[in-house]
Amino acid sequence: MQAAQPLPQRRVAPLSFPRLAMLASERTLIGAHIITALVALSIGILMGPFQTFRRSPAFMEALPDWKIPVFTYYYQALTIHGVINALFFTTFFIVGFSYFVTQRSLERPMFSRGLAWGAFGMMFVGLSLVLYAIASNQANVLYTFYPSLVAHPTFYIGLVLLIVGTWIVTANIFLTYAQWRADHPGERVPLAVFATLANYVMWCVATIGVAIEVLFMLLPLSLGWITHTDPQMARALFWFFGHPLVYFWLIPAYISWYTMLPRQTGSQLFSEPLARVAFLMLMIFSIPVGAHHLFSDPGVSAAMKGVHTILTFVVAVPSFLTAFNIGAVLERAGRSRGARGPFGWLVRQDWGNPVVAAQLAGMILFIAGGFSGLIHASLTLNIALHNTAWVPGHFHMTLAGAITLTYIAIAYWILPLIRGRALFSRPIALAQIYTWLVGMLIFGHGMGAAGILGVPRRADLAGSGYISPEAATWLNSAAIAGVILLISSVLLFINIIGTLFFSRAPVSEDGPIATGSSDGSPLWFERWGLWLGVMLFLALVAWGPLFAETLDLVNGFNVPGFRPESPVPLR
Amino acid sequence: MHIDRLERYWIIAVTAMLGVFMAALFVSVVVFRVQLPSPVGRVDPRALAETEFATPGLTDLGASRYDMHIVAKMWNFDLGQAKGEPAEVRLPRGAQVTFFVTSEDVTHGFFIEGHDANLMLLPGQIASTTVRFNRPGTYHIICHEYCGPAHANMVAAIIVE
Ligand code: HEM
Ligand SMILES: [Cu+2]
Ligand SMILES: [Cu+2]
Repeated sequence: MQAAQPLPQRRVAPLSFPRLAMLASERTLIGAHIITALVALSIGILMGPFQTFRRSPAFMEALPDWKIPVFTYYYQALTIHGVINALFFTTFFIVGFSYFVTQRSLERPMFSRGLAWGAFGMMFVGLSLVLYAIASNQANVLYTFYPSLVAHPTFYIGLVLLIVGTWIVTANIFLTYAQWRADHPGERVPLAVFATLANYVMWCVATIGVAIEVLFMLLPLSLGWITHTDPQMARALFWFFGHPLVYFWLIPAYISWYTMLPRQTGSQLFSEPLARVAFLMLMIFSIPVGAHHLFSDPGVSAAMKGVHTILTFVVAVPSFLTAFNIGAVLERAGRSRGARGPFGWLVRQDWGNPVVAAQLAGMILFIAGGFSGLIHASLTLNIALHNTAWVPGHFHMTLAGAITLTYIAIAYWILPLIRGRALFSRPIALAQIYTWLVGMLIFGHGMGAAGILGVPRRADLAGSGYISPEAATWLNSAAIAGVILLISSVLLFINIIGTLFFSRAPVSEDGPIATGSSDGSPLWFERWGLWLGVMLFLALVAWGPLFAETLDLVNGFNVPGFRPESPVPLR
Repeated sequence: MHIDRLERYWIIAVTAMLGVFMAALFVSVVVFRVQLPSPVGRVDPRALAETEFATPGLTDLGASRYDMHIVAKMWNFDLGQAKGEPAEVRLPRGAQVTFFVTSEDVTHGFFIEGHDANLMLLPGQIASTTVRFNRPGTYHIICHEYCGPAHANMVAAIIVE
């Protein structure tokens, strides 16, 4: 696996990957991504419990002067938490995982190692710039960076580098696929790669929105090249990107559930064609639904909100398909472990194997989190819940629950492969997983209940005067969850550091990769150009009118920028 | 492409369930008249003094109907209260108030406890919603979008008598 190869028409002999180990070239590239991701997570995650403490009336009564360590300004910590967890940890992890899945499933190296390292470099510089901007108190704008709040230019440049990096990753993966396709005409690409390709197609369409927002509105405003902006337009562009973003995180977790969990549990996928349908639907319908984040916005018409609500229900279908398919995988697994009766398999699972248990715990959270999502996606209920604590309650069961736990499951087998040593401690891993599960359930419930009572999200409640005693109870329970999750995070990092530096035993768990594919799905599922066309068409239909009603070149773009610390406009 | 019989039933069941959810939504919009904010107009946030937002506050339209103009700014709600007075407004029970709210600087939020009022306040946009206050009590108006260091103190109150 060396430097870039020209697009060869010749057949390359399949690269044979070692069992229970990685090639040196694999180890460096994938290791760099996964370890950067986990270091980012360790910074971002720690803020979470501290936020729950600042938001707990009982805690702040006991320690009235308590502040978040290091990042003492609450919203600085919250910006770190959102940006580093949701944007950088996820992206680095996903890219590293995608390289592993692509190379191993297609049994060939990436099209270009140079491109892969170039992209890594860009993303890494991006991460450093963003960290600099936030740590130096010049970017306290949260991970949604809505204008007219303005951050230091390095913040936006860092984000641009991250995104351009992922475009290069996309090109590299597609070129690798093209090479494979040339060697394998008429074959179906393995499911894991199929899903990976769908994910990056979706990502490239989605990032157009945020790229336009950052490059043409925010960065020039921050540099002083332009003086005014339009917050409603910025929010529309952001949420064009924002909903597919959550599927960008989710699809790798689904890849693990669909293609790895069956091997890890000694079962078999129930229906591979419908798995492909699910991924295609996620990809296509991720785009025309983003206005469900704009239900309370004054500049978007109720008609457009209605259209996006209806399509949001459509995009729930692939997750229900997944529930059936993965349910069937687990049923087989349970029965082969001796489960009896119609429901015995629900209990007879491999709860003692960290790699399986983390995914099962994630699924439990996903059921709660998924339904809570359907609830606030309903535009009428959204009025009661938008921007309340309910929303972080929801996405800590999905993003910080199901998705993060599945990434942790992946980390528990991929880190040993990277390091060439077994996972440091299985008991610690199990303790970590179950504390995470319990913590997130208590957290999600507490935040949800507080949200129903009207407690807002994104608020340093230590200084606010509007918390009712009833709501205080739920915020306090979220802080108890914060303690549990703090313990869980420490256990996670003990295992990561232990595996990297102190583990002595040989690797025992292989990368659960399937090569080849035998299902009966039609080959036109892989017409990516066609899907791209469909997505752009849907984008036009669902977003065209919305942008048209938002864009006003005569009366719009009249809002100057502000630093969060001061009500005096910048220019 | 083969689809298993059980899986086909599942797909039908799920689609039907989502259809029921959608019907419920439809009913809540058409029958119960739950309304979502829709565009009512733009303002120039640099020149609010020349607009209807020059003098925020309550306008009595008679028959228990009111208009209420509010300007959100870092970090308080201007309901027309005098300097140094708390941001409060008193309403008789049964008052039906149409709020017109905008922001003078950054994005803010507008959430009234216990009532269906939930708006994003964007500079340059007028946000509007109508609320009927039937139960006596004190209801906070909470800014629910991050707007700077004092965001969590950005609150006003509606007192229904
Ligand atoms: C250790 C466990 C965690 C705890 C206790 C925790 C706690 C919290 C709390 C209390 C908030 C809301 C703060 C507020 O609205 O004022 C929050 C927001 C958030 N969390 Fe976490 N979190 C944890 C892990 C994670 C993970 C693993 C991720 C993502 C991978 C994540 C992503 C986010 C995001 C994106 C936000 C929204 C930030 C914003 O509103 O700007 N969290 N978290
Ligand atoms: Cu969404
Ligand atoms: Cu605020």
